[in-house]
Amino acid sequence: MQQELLIELYSEEIPARLQKKALQDAVATFSKIIDSYNVSHGEVKSFISPMRLTLLVEDLEGQTKASVERKTGPSISAGKQAVEGFLRSNNKTANDLIEIDGYYHIDIEMKIFETRTLIGDMIEDFIAKMPWQKSMRWYLEDQKALSAFWVRPIRSILCMYDGTSPGVYLKSVGIRTCSHTYGHRFIAPAAIEVSDFEDYKTRLEDAHVMLDYDKKKNYIDMEMTKNAAGIGLCVGYDEGLLDEVAGLVEYPFIHIGVINEEFMKLPPEVLSTSMKIHQKYFTLTYPDSVIAPFYGVVTNIPGTDVMYDGLNRVLRARLSDAAFFYKEDLDVTLEAFAPRLSNVVFHEKLGSMSQKIDRMMSIADTKEEHRAIALCKADLLTQMVGEFPELQGTIGGIYAKIQDESPELCVAIMEHYKPANATDTIPCTPLGARISFIDKIDSLVGLLGIGIKPTGSKDPFALRRTAIGIVRLLCESNDSILDSETLSWYIDTLVTAYSDQGVPLNPHTVDTVKEFLIDRFKAFMIDGLEVDQDIVNAVVSGFGTPDLDYRTTLDKAQKVKHIVTLDGFGTVKMAYKRSVGVIGDCADDGSDTECWKSAQFKDKHMAGVHDAVLALGKDDSDFSDIVKASSAVLEACENVLINDPDHGVKMANISLFREFVNVVRDRICDLTYIANRAQGE
Amino acid sequence: MQVAVSFQDIIFKLQQFWAEQGCAVLQPYDTEVGAGTSHYATTLKALDNNYWAAAFVQPCRRPSDGRYGDNPNRTQYYYQFQVIIKPAPQNPQELYLDSLKAVGFDMAAHDIRFVEDDWENPSLGAAGLGWEVWCDGMEITQYTYFQQVGGINCAIVPVEITYGLERIATFMQGVESHFDINWNGKEGEQKLTYGDVLLRFEKEFSCYNFDVASVDILLEHFSDYEEECRRLLAHNLVMPAYEQCVKANHCFNLLDARGVVSVTERAGYIARIRALAKSCCQAWMESL
Repeated sequence: MQQELLIELYSEEIPARLQKKALQDAVATFSKIIDSYNVSHGEVKSFISPMRLTLLVEDLEGQTKASVERKTGPSISAGKQAVEGFLRSNNKTANDLIEIDGYYHIDIEMKIFETRTLIGDMIEDFIAKMPWQKSMRWYLEDQKALSAFWVRPIRSILCMYDGTSPGVYLKSVGIRTCSHTYGHRFIAPAAIEVSDFEDYKTRLEDAHVMLDYDKKKNYIDMEMTKNAAGIGLCVGYDEGLLDEVAGLVEYPFIHIGVINEEFMKLPPEVLSTSMKIHQKYFTLTYPDSVIAPFYGVVTNIPGTDVMYDGLNRVLRARLSDAAFFYKEDLDVTLEAFAPRLSNVVFHEKLGSMSQKIDRMMSIADTKEEHRAIALCKADLLTQMVGEFPELQGTIGGIYAKIQDESPELCVAIMEHYKPANATDTIPCTPLGARISFIDKIDSLVGLLGIGIKPTGSKDPFALRRTAIGIVRLLCESNDSILDSETLSWYIDTLVTAYSDQGVPLNPHTVDTVKEFLIDRFKAFMIDGLEVDQDIVNAVVSGFGTPDLDYRTTLDKAQKVKHIVTLDGFGTVKMAYKRSVGVIGDCADDGSDTECWKSAQFKDKHMAGVHDAVLALGKDDSDFSDIVKASSAVLEACENVLINDPDHGVKMANISLFREFVNVVRDRICDLTYIANRAQGE
Repeated sequence: MQVAVSFQDIIFKLQQFWAEQGCAVLQPYDTEVGAGTSHYATTLKALDNNYWAAAFVQPCRRPSDGRYGDNPNRTQYYYQFQVIIKPAPQNPQELYLDSLKAVGFDMAAHDIRFVEDDWENPSLGAAGLGWEVWCDGMEITQYTYFQQVGGINCAIVPVEITYGLERIATFMQGVESHFDINWNGKEGEQKLTYGDVLLRFEKEFSCYNFDVASVDILLEHFSDYEEECRRLLAHNLVMPAYEQCVKANHCFNLLDARGVVSVTERAGYIARIRALAKSCCQAWMESL
């Protein structure tokens, strides 16, 4: 008998930012728990809204599975008494004994339980094991004790199995499961009796709770777009903001509000950031992307005039603050802010931001670079960045523009923090790319130089992100100056600059930085570009560390990634492996490695290899010549005694195999690093 | 439209409401604190295992937030209405929402939301989980389940509800500036506004906090309070010691506003205050 199990943990508001992950964690956690009770089941689904986390198990078997547990007893050589004792204590007879590896065993049939009787324990386990990022305890009046940990206090638990409520008391939260839930806290707060999931979902929908998280998000996106389109405006898609507002309402109501005209003189980035961060409002634009004096907002109950007034008033207060900061900031030039960077700490052991600027200057070449470096961090002292740290760089660029700095410089300041992560775009101007490059290398050299290292998921100084930024600039920038040679030179220069400032760095800092970058480069190729680890290891080792050429290595990795999927790669791999074996077996005695060129191969197989190797081109476009040569190599290995008693023949053979290996290594990579791949992969 | 409720009416109604829930209605702590949480009625009383329920107005001093009375919403002195109940009852959110109704909020007309905001006060070694409560997008209350005070885990979890009285008043009266809040509910000549009561206070204290307070005297006071706190703890006088700790904290806030505390020193000061607070909390627990 297979039946549906429905569980709803009704709690006080679950933080919006935790909901998406909770959906997945709940399924994984509860599936594991059911399995641990040995009950077969169908799909496990989860649902979430601010006040509830719901689990649905389809086709949950009514009983635990029949199973046996094998128990190990005494050794065969043990006395009769021991064996009898073992049998007696397990209620078995001598017929049940099984001999394995010199020991007696018996199989014990596990007791079969009714699933219904296990549900309470399953929920208790779920409460104990659900991995909330942050959780709390509360006081249980009936037990005079603290509850188990949960994200917020649980106030009611609905549980229905096979259409009825098991009604079990859950000690860890002091609650007896019941057959009712509650609707929207403000619109339909009454208790709702529920029979099964379909009924539950429908009744909640009627009670203004939208249970399907993705549906709620889509609904918000669509309604917002529709409402905006009604007045000729567009809404920029913002997944993060959608997640947040969806997680804050049980049922979404959409409203378009008005921004006072006086605030429209603020930079658009400031407007939209203030609305998003402080108020969770959506920015609306005209079709040409110019920001419009309207915002979109999602509320939890239907709108009213007083509510709309309130929403506008809060925004006015927020934007008044922003306007005040903006006005105050513009009274001071970026140049005047810059000297105060000596009061801003970069790192307590590495000095101030102004010292950082000085070090970056030691690399600056052109007049433009000097000016960009001098001004790029000045916005850290503005009130606007104080209020919205995420606008660092952006604000500097905006203020630079108002001060009539060159367009190139404004853009460079704006984008010198880019790329902010593995998927962000890189700076689009050469000046921006160079400032970003120098800034990031300076940070990496200093922080690694004083022994800071990321551990596990902890990377408080974002060293990994910084390194990925450098790697991506090396690989993707159009600016040919950003290459491995420059990198090496910058690292050396910055180490010297730190030392000139009297900051002691570890003696091996240069190598540490280079190794760290290569590690991140590998991780970037594996995680970001989905290149297999063996290929990454092969290409990186092929170029020799620590001064490898990032761009060439990356190209190579992409190429190898393609080649290993081609027909015939298995043959090439095999031929390469056997050739390497042949060369290794015969120690290099210093004889002429080029002797295959002038040698006469009498054996027809070796002559075949010779022809095929001669036919190998330098061109990468075609792979078939390598496959052909590989087949010839394999054929020879099967039929020819490579290690010929005649020294001259032997040397010619080996030299020919070596040539084959060299060509393959140059054109693909060292295939000894490459694992075998399943056919057709 | 909302019926205009005076500033003092809001206080009366909240006092009345929470008195009916069994809270002792207390008076403010008569020394400078940065938040209602610093009142011994919260900090120390939250710590032990006895029943406790109190509600009170607490004037708060945040010297760095002063704007010489120029900013309509930001001041260095403002009022909180603080509720602390231990153990937290089984329906604290419902009680809170009922208190808003009691003050005159129309719950069908306003969008009330509990938005995650975990609270932490490093100088008191206190932390909790909860929300800021939004009304039509404006934060009007901080709602917290304490988990730790003075670095000690709470054996019985209290709930702390902190209303921002000025925000609620501007909201209910439909005014944009704190200084325009009608304090006594009268109109015409007899009308007294928040500005009438506090604008001069705000201006003069902003000058004192930012420009005039003697750094030397403050530094001396800080050390004195710190020393006195330790001395009193040695005499096992926990409440007087705690008061010295609170005073030291305010001294630090003033020094901070005077702009004489560098980033590195800042961490040092906070650590010293936390050490005092922690010692007081431990002494309180040991003396029970």
